Amino acid sequence: MSGTHDGGTDRDGPGDGFDDSLLEEELRQAAGILDPVPAELDRLAVEAFALRDLDAGLAELTFDSLVDALPIRGETDPARMLTFRAGEVSLDVEVSAEGLFGQVMPPQPARIEVLSGLRPARSLTADEMGRFTGETPPSGPFALRLRAGGEVVVTEWLRA
Amino acid sequence: MTGGTALSTAYDGVSYTRGGAVDRRDVGALVQSAADGDAAAWKALVEGLGPLVWSVARAHRLSDADAHEVYQTAWFRFAQHLGRIREPEKAGSWLASTARNESLKVLKAARRWTPTDDPQLLDRVSEDRTPEESVLDSEEAAAQSERVRWLWQEFEELGERCRQLLRVLIASPPPSYQEVSAALGIAVGSIGPMRQRCLRRLRARLEARGAA
Repeated sequence: MSGTHDGGTDRDGPGDGFDDSLLEEELRQAAGILDPVPAELDRLAVEAFALRDLDAGLAELTFDSLVDALPIRGETDPARMLTFRAGEVSLDVEVSAEGLFGQVMPPQPARIEVLSGLRPARSLTADEMGRFTGETPPSGPFALRLRAGGEVVVTEWLRA
Repeated sequence: MTGGTALSTAYDGVSYTRGGAVDRRDVGALVQSAADGDAAAWKALVEGLGPLVWSVARAHRLSDADAHEVYQTAWFRFAQHLGRIREPEKAGSWLASTARNESLKVLKAARRWTPTDDPQLLDRVSEDRTPEESVLDSEEAAAQSERVRWLWQEFEELGERCRQLLRVLIASPPPSYQEVSAALGIAVGSIGPMRQRCLRRLRARLEARGAA
């Protein structure tokens, strides 16, 4: 594919000296010393292999108020509204400082796990209307794992 | 470009890495292997593409805490999508654009809480980062570390566009221009000329400082 490169050869356009590449390499080494990937993050990413969740259907994010909605005048800290969809099942979620509120559509009772990375999950129960409430908002990246009927669905990981 | 062509790449007993870096041509095969349950292939992907993901969060000037969360979100989501990615050989671009989108969301959320017209003020600058602390301390490295510090300082003070482009370009191993494009939302064709201009600007700053 033209326009791509695999290391640097086609970076050296006309007038692009050896000096430019040297300076870039020196800067790369500086980044390795002064701003490397923190070790704990490296470890977390390696361990994230366990989060593949092969049995669950993936519910993709189809609406995010942060991106898809206009800011509401006067509201300084509006709730984040999210919608995830996997086939027939969708999940509306509202995250605010007060916690997590959601509804399963079509309405049905469900078991919901709030996943927080590799930490233990919290369990919530959705009533017969499909509504569920969590007292505290998720901190850091989270995903919701839903069991309704015979189906298991997990939402895409998201940073709240 | 299809993932199939690289599948014959032997990975059993052969190092994934060359000089500590995953060869970009191996990425498609590593993704396939990881999707099939090969934890070592996954680890090689983290080693080869983690610095790119980190550079994207840093290029957007996120605070440490936000950069940590963006990095984790990108990898958690990549694990979820592992067996579903249509073009496994473009996993680097997938991760880079995921990290970009999440970084932009962080900035957008911050903007809603901070009513201001000045986009420069919207960036949450890392407070607790003290590069000097992380410089190697040994005497042997002292002279070199001074040069490194100068270089980094001048780099940090480049204009925002240059700083952002270079921060991603200097990920290790070096990202492809496709990946840089995905990381920053800029056209592949503009990267080469911008890179050249930015490196020259950096050199001019170093020369002015007498450190070239």
